[in-house]
Amino acid sequence: MRANPGNAADRIEPVVLVTPGLALIIGAFFFPVGQILILSLVPPEEGLSIWANFARFFEDDYYLRVAWRTLKLSVIITVATALIGFPLAYVTARSPRWLAFLLLLLTVLPLMTSVVVRTFGWMIVLGRGGPVTQLLMALGLGARDAALLHTETGIVVAMVQVLLPFMTITTLGVIASINPFLEESARTMGAGFYRTMRHVVLPLSIPGLVSGSLLVFALSISSFVTPNLVGGVRLPVLAGAIYQQATSVLDWNFAAAQSVLLLGAVLALLVPYLALMRRAQHG
Amino acid sequence: MKKLFNGTAIALVAGLVALPAQGQQRLVINSFGGAYEEAHQRLIIEPFEEMHNVEIEVVTAYSADALAQLRAQAANPQFDVIHFSGGQEVAAAREGLLAPIDPADLTHYDDLYPFAVEGLEEGRGPVMSVAVLGLLYDTSVVEAAPTSWEALFDPAIGESVVIADISNTYGLLNLLMLNQVRGGTLDDIQPGLDAVAELLDNGAQIFSSSPELQQAFAQGAAVMSPYAQDYAFTLTEAGLPVAFVQPDEGSPGVYITANVVAGRPNTELATAFVDFSLRPEAQAGWAEALRYSPTNSAAELPEELAGQVVYGEEAANRLLRFDPDVVNERRPEWTDAWNRLVAQ
Repeated sequence: MRANPGNAADRIEPVVLVTPGLALIIGAFFFPVGQILILSLVPPEEGLSIWANFARFFEDDYYLRVAWRTLKLSVIITVATALIGFPLAYVTARSPRWLAFLLLLLTVLPLMTSVVVRTFGWMIVLGRGGPVTQLLMALGLGARDAALLHTETGIVVAMVQVLLPFMTITTLGVIASINPFLEESARTMGAGFYRTMRHVVLPLSIPGLVSGSLLVFALSISSFVTPNLVGGVRLPVLAGAIYQQATSVLDWNFAAAQSVLLLGAVLALLVPYLALMRRAQHG
Repeated sequence: MKKLFNGTAIALVAGLVALPAQGQQRLVINSFGGAYEEAHQRLIIEPFEEMHNVEIEVVTAYSADALAQLRAQAANPQFDVIHFSGGQEVAAAREGLLAPIDPADLTHYDDLYPFAVEGLEEGRGPVMSVAVLGLLYDTSVVEAAPTSWEALFDPAIGESVVIADISNTYGLLNLLMLNQVRGGTLDDIQPGLDAVAELLDNGAQIFSSSPELQQAFAQGAAVMSPYAQDYAFTLTEAGLPVAFVQPDEGSPGVYITANVVAGRPNTELATAFVDFSLRPEAQAGWAEALRYSPTNSAAELPEELAGQVVYGEEAANRLLRFDPDVVNERRPEWTDAWNRLVAQ
């Protein structure tokens, strides 16, 4: 920073630099989201309260089931990606360079393919007559026409594969910054592998796990393409229900209310997280 | 001096970039993707582009989506020509989203069947092809060709029946057809919903897009499905042993219309495009490529091809047509009822 704060150019420069980004966020995010907020408050008929659309959501058993399914699956997916992503990130962080590079490549490569293409791949793999069914039949576990396609398990499997890179990469950054000497000292003091993990590595990688989980949760709760294709129309999730309301049923006000609720669910987790992080920094 | 040079260079480049945009006209249309869109490009879009030196931008959107987009864009429409397969043109015309067409602007007006040009003055575009809904079945599994819609309810094939979701025009028509077979009317579709519930109890699966149907037949997961004649042909072309049959109780017709969107600067060109879509060569091309039935009496089809489509005014008039006004008005309510029925 210049030593002369009175210079007009100094005052204008930061404003000019920030304006394009700010304009983009306001125009492309806050403005449309604001419109949706307003849409959601318009009651379906004259005389009803502005909360009529929200009330309708909570009074209807069908939508409550959709919301419960979305929430339940998102939690399962988040936990599953954490269980798979954490060991993967740890191994990648502690491997020799060539292996770390290979693992990283394998993790990131799926992201290079469109998620729709990957999902169609899962539909073939999980469908009747697909390799998964044939394997189950060969092992004597599956009925003749069993398939994971159009089931909640199928949704979880496909979503975990799609979202794993996000969890892994986020956690990897944090683990890589843990000083390996800390683990070595714990081992020299007599702690076994699992005790070291529990008392040294895990506590230190919590920030990475938490932000990874938050990312995966937010992505899976608002996910539309994969649950729609793999789960089918009989297992609707919230994002799919919103899409149907907006394009088939054409009740935009109700669709807006559902979108606000979805946003609220993600914010409900984000705010405590930010508060915790803040306290960790200052505490 | 440098500034002058830079300024001139920029002006020149800007001018060169702007030139093509001025010279060539543009049309924005929608199509239905997959094999349909390929045929659409070959038979109508590319020849029109060449003939009139026009650039045509194609947006893939099924009819329900297209209508939703038109409604959202009412203040500033982005489409010039919009195609519908589910009777949406009735609602769109009533809402003022479509521009009326003067019969004098359609060179093929006189050759079209009367049902194909109803409502032109209100904005409802002409019908450019007709598809027929019936039963598709796997000939290697089902020995005798089914003769009734009730064949779907046979418990023996219960788990291998696949039906389309209501978001697809064919799915909606299927629901209405089963409703009619089971004694319901457009005012009360409960018999239709009960019929679908019965199919689901038997183990039927629901799909939402045409490629999923092809995949189901290819993987042996589907043995019978109520769907359209044009898709049966696509499946046979892909090498699958699938045949199509029109059941005795009657078959609903799917009327694909080409409509001119209101409030756009180049309505003349759009109307010319609609007219171009109706010419006999295009109609014959649709029949050959996808087994769509023509609406232009001047379209000439070879005999064996004529046997595989609905040929002639008489045959076309025998197709069932559910009142588009009622269908459009009650579709949201039916969609809601369907979603509640099928959700697990």
